[in-house]
Amino acid sequence: MKCDRQTLPIAAIREENASLRTFTFDGKLNAEPGQFIMLTIFSQGEKPFSILDVDKNTFEMTIKNIGPFTDSLFKMKVGDLVSIRGPYGRSFTRHSGNILMVGGGYATPPLRFLAKRLREDGVKRLVTINGARSAEDLLYVDDFEILSHQSHVATDDGSLGHKGTSVDVMESILEKESFDQIYISGPEKMMKAAVAVAKKYQLPYEVNLERYMKCGVGVCGSCVMDPTGFILCMEGPIVDNETLDGLEDFGVAHRGKTGRKTVL
Amino acid sequence: MRFLGKEISTPLTLASGILGISFSSLQRVIRDGAGMVTTKSLSIEPRIGHEGPVIAEFEGGLINSVGLTNPGIAEGLEEVEKFHAGIGGVVIVSVFGANAAEFVQLSKAVNESSADILELNLSCPNVTDEFKRPFALMPDKITEIVSAVKAVSTIPVLAKLSPNANDISAIAKLTEDAGADGLTMINTLGHGMVIDAVAKRPVLRNNFGGISGPCIKPLAIKLIHDAYKVVDIPILGTGGVSTGLDAIEMMMAGASAIGVGSAVYDHGLDVFKKICDEMETFMEVHGYAQYSDLIGILEEN
Repeated sequence: MKCDRQTLPIAAIREENASLRTFTFDGKLNAEPGQFIMLTIFSQGEKPFSILDVDKNTFEMTIKNIGPFTDSLFKMKVGDLVSIRGPYGRSFTRHSGNILMVGGGYATPPLRFLAKRLREDGVKRLVTINGARSAEDLLYVDDFEILSHQSHVATDDGSLGHKGTSVDVMESILEKESFDQIYISGPEKMMKAAVAVAKKYQLPYEVNLERYMKCGVGVCGSCVMDPTGFILCMEGPIVDNETLDGLEDFGVAHRGKTGRKTVL
Repeated sequence: MRFLGKEISTPLTLASGILGISFSSLQRVIRDGAGMVTTKSLSIEPRIGHEGPVIAEFEGGLINSVGLTNPGIAEGLEEVEKFHAGIGGVVIVSVFGANAAEFVQLSKAVNESSADILELNLSCPNVTDEFKRPFALMPDKITEIVSAVKAVSTIPVLAKLSPNANDISAIAKLTEDAGADGLTMINTLGHGMVIDAVAKRPVLRNNFGGISGPCIKPLAIKLIHDAYKVVDIPILGTGGVSTGLDAIEMMMAGASAIGVGSAVYDHGLDVFKKICDEMETFMEVHGYAQYSDLIGILEEN
């Protein structure tokens, strides 16, 4: 059996911006960048969250307040108990050559985690693009600057960095420079656009997908993607270009809480 | 081999509740070595089911309280059509109704689809707050629902029984007498509870859930054998099977086909191929020519 459940007090809460907070736990989590955990709030429910960082005896998740569950989490204080199981899922594959990261919105924490690990591995060159709607929505700008050989920022409203999307910046970078591997994490529409650019330049990439998940361990079927029956919680959430080509649901459709399929 | 008149490549069957929302996951399980797949129990309206955690692990297996999450009969049957468009393999459509009339309505819809077999989930333990006592514990309800469904169904009907029944032999017999073409047994056991000692709380959001996995296998085998002795209709045996030997034991006790559920949690979808290979090895070593040679051959001491 494989369930690693830990029930822990919240050790620290850090405000990242108006709607994002980072929750720190003192515990061991043997996680790789891109993996996720299932977090239980007692009497409330359980949801999947990606991992921001893991140290020897601590781990962190940056969480956006998007609904009733996260609303309850944001009302919790240091010392309050939650239960965490995982880590689950497939992580990013680590490469060492010329690396490009394309991030969007609040999906950038796993890229920050990966950037940290790649630097520890001695990656040759790391270029990062961090995009969001506006300057106040950007996460970890300073961290990406420190971790990257070259870092770019893009905002839709031009309040910081390039005015436009991270995919616009990606295009202009790829016109001048080639990469051994691209990592993409953002809203699905943005990732779809980024994938189109990566395909144009015939470069390998991995994306970080999100689907409704209930069990997290490949049993309930909520996160299955058509037409291959890909089980995202176990075989993803990180998906390579070859696998992604088989997932017709990507950028098109997802299943909701009842399993009913709806258009994205 | 054949089960309820359907040609199946192996006796292994995806049990209801595991993965079975989409045609793609059902097709995948067939490709991975199952002869039949069962959908999640479909109800007339879509159901969200219970809040998570819906699954908790313990030493001997799992408890779950998914609560019949499903997209509703209409959408569920669309997935069945897509399934049949892409691959061979037998689909058992499981349905759950609040009463006999709903079961009849659901059964009519299933009969109008390309479903091969209908399974009546009379024994879900996870919706007792909503629907009270499972029908499978009430002889008159079993008779009422099964006979009403049989009156409208031209495809074979399986009735899924509960291990919580007091006298399984009597229940199995009256289910046969009501017209069922086969029995699926057993559903999950109990309720059970797993406690988070640090939090002083049950792990499941719903507090309790049905018990499955290796720990219920001996019970499943005994109940299947009890039923086998009193009925002539085939039994789809489910309950804690995760190895070829488990499946062989269950067939010897009287099962004609074997459902696999919780083992997917431990071993992934490769478990179907693994069980098939292990069964074949056993049969080769011990001189069984075909799966059907195993059914009910148990000799009691």
